[in-house]
Amino acid sequence: MAETPGNSGGHEKVLQTFFEMSLDMLCIADFDGYFKRINAAWTTTLGHTTEELSAVPYVNFTHPEDRERTLREATRLQDGTDTISFENRYLCKDGSFKWLRWRAHADFGAGLIYAVARDITERKESEKMLRITAAELARSNDELSQFAYIASHDLQEPLRMVASFLQLVEKRYDSVLDAEGRNFIRFAVDGAKRMQSLIQDLLALSRVQTRAKPAERTDSAKVFREVMDDLQLAIAETGATITCDSLPEVMADSTQLAQLFQNLLGNALKFRGKDPVRIQVRAQRRPEGWEFSVSDNGIGIEPQFFERIFGIFQRLHARTELPGTGIGLAVCKKIVERHGGRIWLESQPGCGSTFFFTIPDKKPLPAG
Amino acid sequence: MIMTHSRTVEILLVDDNIGDVVLTKEALKGADFTNRVSIARDGFEALDFLRRTGKFPHAPRPDLILLDINMPRKNGCEVLEEIRRDEALKLIPVVILTSSEAEDDIRRAYELRANCYVTKPADLDEMVKIVQAIDFFWTTIAKLPRHR
Repeated sequence: MAETPGNSGGHEKVLQTFFEMSLDMLCIADFDGYFKRINAAWTTTLGHTTEELSAVPYVNFTHPEDRERTLREATRLQDGTDTISFENRYLCKDGSFKWLRWRAHADFGAGLIYAVARDITERKESEKMLRITAAELARSNDELSQFAYIASHDLQEPLRMVASFLQLVEKRYDSVLDAEGRNFIRFAVDGAKRMQSLIQDLLALSRVQTRAKPAERTDSAKVFREVMDDLQLAIAETGATITCDSLPEVMADSTQLAQLFQNLLGNALKFRGKDPVRIQVRAQRRPEGWEFSVSDNGIGIEPQFFERIFGIFQRLHARTELPGTGIGLAVCKKIVERHGGRIWLESQPGCGSTFFFTIPDKKPLPAG
Repeated sequence: MIMTHSRTVEILLVDDNIGDVVLTKEALKGADFTNRVSIARDGFEALDFLRRTGKFPHAPRPDLILLDINMPRKNGCEVLEEIRRDEALKLIPVVILTSSEAEDDIRRAYELRANCYVTKPADLDEMVKIVQAIDFFWTTIAKLPRHR
């Protein structure tokens, strides 16, 4: 007849079965510091046989640096304080160590300690990796700020010298320069000035990280109105009509959201066609957050360039046709991705473009 | 009404970059009134000049200081801090004239009571315009306490 947990003999067998099946390491030790009984998980985890583990005091298997702490914990246990979550390293057969997390209780009547240990080596290692990664991230952020300072000062100064003194030569020695000489100077000055805009734009891109603020409840309609005020002049000049739906409240860095609207609207105004500019801004609810769109009736973009335009300093037009370094959409992409969203477009040459971006509902933004 | 100066305006230009010194002097040459520009090449020299010590026992008291930030040995912010702590110097208008656009530098300069912070432009004509505007404003338009 099958034994059931009802009678005492069966009960012992059930416990014995579970004892041996446990993935955690179960043991009973005496107050003298020797294992009296251990389950199979010990051998599976550490590689030592039951005999090897029982032959010497268990503290011999702990890492030399953890030994004192372990003995102190055993004393506390024998003084009546249960061990809830004690961690130490145990020696494996191959000489390596595994991190164990302990729970233990002392039975004073029997003079025994009941203990469970769990192998947490993997967790410990990933914690360590996380600490290293965090330290590396902090270091690379420091480097980025340092780069930003270099770009904002150290690189500008020599350029300023080149441009200014060439202009001074042009001014003072105008009478001895011929047309070609003056042209050469103009090329050199233009080059220096262009390099300065490139440096300033790189700086703007790096500021998406270095000047980042945490996401807050932001009224995107208010941000949009402020951007419209800033663009007033450009809107008046182009005679553009800009309409927008009711815009939602989102979790965002409001300065960066403004920059995003500013760049997208700025592009829509800049890359206009022959017709009067019409721009439509919309926001649509999606399961994971809000999807914004900025549609224009401008010159449009060929699909083969959809990826490229988000790259740093990527341009599709000659500088003489349309000015700009090609940083705007790279900044947009960085801002959207920092918010955990996505940016893309739909467009056809001659039929206008629609840029979409999403702002997910909740995404804790990493600070600068 | 704007008064014309009956005397020479003393300007102390503190800048380690010889190119900038030449450019600034060039810009000041075009001003409507007589400027005398003295040069200090770093923070130590600037303070020696202001306190008439070291190489500058007979230095005039400047009406205006144009101060760069990034300089060897002692930078502009440190100089500004010492000027503002010095009873004899603290009222002299100090204009920060630098190529730094770093937010930290701008904030720090105003915290140390710079009279204003100006970034040097890359364009020569702009530079001339800006330096002359600074000169004109601080030596002609702005009303300053009389030096005792």
